[in-house]
Amino acid sequence: MINTSKSNLVFVVAIIGLIVTAALVLFNLASQGHAAFNGSNLGLHWTFPIVVYDYFLLTSTGLAMIASLMLIFGGAHCQPLVRRCLWLAVAGLVGGVSVLALELGYPVRAIWAIPTSFAVTSPLWWKVMFVIAYVVVLLITVNLLRKPGEWPAAARTSAILLLLAALGVTGIAGVVYGSMTMRPFWSSGDVPVAFIFESLLGGLAFAIFFSYLAHGFSQERMSAPLRDVLTGMLPKVFALAIFVHLMFVGARALIGLYSNAEGLQVWQYLAGTSLFHIELWAGLVLPLLLMLSPGLRSNAGSQTLAALLVMISLFIARYDYIIGGQLVPMFKGAWAPELLSYAPSFTEWMLLLMAIFLANAIYVWGEKKFDLSWCKQA
Amino acid sequence: MAKWGMVIDLDKCTGCQACTTACAMENNRLPGENWQDVLFYTEGTYPNVSMKWFPRPCFHCENPSCVSVCPTRATYKDPEGGFVLIDWNKCIGCKYCQVACPYGVRFFTDEKAVVQPDIRDVFPAKDDRQWDPPYKGPQDDPSRGIGIQPHGVVSKCTFCYHKVSKAPEGVADLDEDIPELKEYVPGCVRVCAPKARFFGDLDNPESYVNKLIADKRGVRLKEETGNKPQVYYLSGGAAAAVPGLRSMKDKS
Ligand code: SF4
Ligand code: SF4
Repeated sequence: MINTSKSNLVFVVAIIGLIVTAALVLFNLASQGHAAFNGSNLGLHWTFPIVVYDYFLLTSTGLAMIASLMLIFGGAHCQPLVRRCLWLAVAGLVGGVSVLALELGYPVRAIWAIPTSFAVTSPLWWKVMFVIAYVVVLLITVNLLRKPGEWPAAARTSAILLLLAALGVTGIAGVVYGSMTMRPFWSSGDVPVAFIFESLLGGLAFAIFFSYLAHGFSQERMSAPLRDVLTGMLPKVFALAIFVHLMFVGARALIGLYSNAEGLQVWQYLAGTSLFHIELWAGLVLPLLLMLSPGLRSNAGSQTLAALLVMISLFIARYDYIIGGQLVPMFKGAWAPELLSYAPSFTEWMLLLMAIFLANAIYVWGEKKFDLSWCKQA
Repeated sequence: MAKWGMVIDLDKCTGCQACTTACAMENNRLPGENWQDVLFYTEGTYPNVSMKWFPRPCFHCENPSCVSVCPTRATYKDPEGGFVLIDWNKCIGCKYCQVACPYGVRFFTDEKAVVQPDIRDVFPAKDDRQWDPPYKGPQDDPSRGIGIQPHGVVSKCTFCYHKVSKAPEGVADLDEDIPELKEYVPGCVRVCAPKARFFGDLDNPESYVNKLIADKRGVRLKEETGNKPQVYYLSGGAAAAVPGLRSMKDKS
C-alpha cells in the first residue's frame, strides 16, 4: 500500500518545485512579456508552451478514456485502476491548462470571449466547448467515485458521457491541426484519429507508470486485483496501442519522406535528428518488443521502463508535430531560411517543469485524500 | 456595397519599398513588423542567378482562413467593403489566425523586437499599448485593429480602412491622380512612384481594377488554398514575378 512518508516527500518536493518554477516563469513574463518565449513572426507562432499544453491535455483525455472504458466494459476486475486514472486526468488537465493560460495574450478574456462568440467555424471554438464539457463530466465522475466502495449506478452513465467528451476534445484537437491545408505537414484527415490513438497510448503508459510509482515499483506491494490487471490484460492492450501508434508514425514519416509537396521537406530534417530516432526506436520499438515478450510482459521492471519510454516518446512526437508544422516559413522572402530553427527558451523549459510539478502536487494530494489504490479485495 | 480590392502590376514595381515605408508611417508600425512588405527572392546559382521581389500586403481574402479559425470572432470580414479586420478588444492572442494564414501576413508583436534597439523601450507607453511614438496617426479604432497596438493581440494590414471607408459612396476606383479622392487612397497605393498599384471596387464592372485584371490576366496567390485574395498580381515577364514556390532548393 501507499507509503505515507514517501508520498509526503513527493508532495513537498512538488510544491517547492512548483513555487520555484512558477516564480521564475512569472518573473520572466512580467519583465520580458512574451519575448521570454522563442516564438517569432517569421513563422513559429505556436511554440513549446503549446506542445506542453497539448501533451498534458491529451494525456488527460487519454486517461479519462481508459477510466471510462474500464467503467463501462471492464467490470469489477478493472476497479483498482479507475480512480487513479481519473485523478491523474484531473492533475494532467490542471497542469496543461495552467501552461496555456501563461501562453495566451489574454487568458482572462478568453474565458468569456470564446464561449460567447459562437464561432462555429473555428475548430478551436469547438475544442474549448468540449474541454468545458469534459471538465464538468470529469469532476462529476470523480465525485461519484470519491469514496471507496461499490460504484454507484450513475457512474456508468457518467463514464459514457466522459468517454464522449474525451473523444471530442482529442478528436477536435486533431482537427485544429489536421484542417490546416495550407500546412501540409499538419494537414490530413486521419490526424484526429491518430490523436485519439496517441492519447489512449499515453493514458495507458501513465496508468501503468503511476500505478508502479504508488507501490514502490513492486508488484508484491499491490493488491491482488491490481496485480492481476497489470500482469493480465493490460500489457497486451498496451502492446497493441504501441503497435497502432507506431503504424501512424511510420506511415506519416514514409509518406513525408517520399512526397515532393512543399512543406513536407520538414520530414527530411526530422528524420535526421536524434530526437526522432529516440522517439521511434527507444520510445516505441523497444517498448513494443518488451511487451511482446511473454517473459518480460508482466515484469514490473520492464513494464515501468516501457511506460516511461512511451511517455517520453509521445512528448517528442508532440514536439516534432507542432514545431515541425511551422518550420517552413510562409512567403517570407529570401532572407528567411529554408527551414526555421527553434529551441525552447529557458522560460519555456521552466513552464514544462512547472506543469510537471503542479500535476504531481495535485496527483499526490489526491492520492492521500481519495486513496486511489483502494479496491475491493477479490 | 463595395468590395475593395488591389491590383499590383509586377512589371512596373521597382522594389523601392516606398509602400512599406508609407504603411509604417501611416499605421505606426514597429520597425520590422511590416504590414506591407516587399519580399526579395534569389533563385538559381551563379552565373544563372535571378533576383525577384514581391510586394505583399494582407490580401483581404474573400474566404479568409484567418476569419474562419478565430475562436472569438475577433478577426472578421466587414460586410461593408470586404475588409478583413481584427477587433483588438476581442482578440485573446491565441495566434491561430497567424498559423492559418497561408500568406504569413499577421504579426504578434509581443515577441523579441526584429530591429534593435527595441523602439518600444525608447518610447514606452503608459497604458497597455505596445509603445508611444512621438508621431501618432490621428486614427485610433481598436475594434478595427487601427492605431497603436495593445499587448497580447495580433495585427495586420487594414487596407487603410480609416481612409478607404470614408470615400464617397459608389466610386469605382480610388486613384491618387483624382484630386478629390486622393485622401481616401491607401497609403501604399498613394506613394507608389511607378504607379504599380491600383485600388478599386471589385464588384463594380466600371472599375479600372476589374479592367486590369481582365485585360492583363490578373492572378491571385496560392489559389489552391481557396482563400481567394482580393489582391491580384499582373505579371508579364519582367523582373518581378509571382513566386511559384516557397522553397528555392531542390528536395535532393
Ligand atoms: S491574407 Fe491572411 S490575414 Fe489577410 S485576409 Fe487572407 S488569410 Fe486573412
Ligand atoms: S489571435 Fe486573436 S484574432 Fe487571431 S485567432 Fe486568436 S483571437 Fe482571433
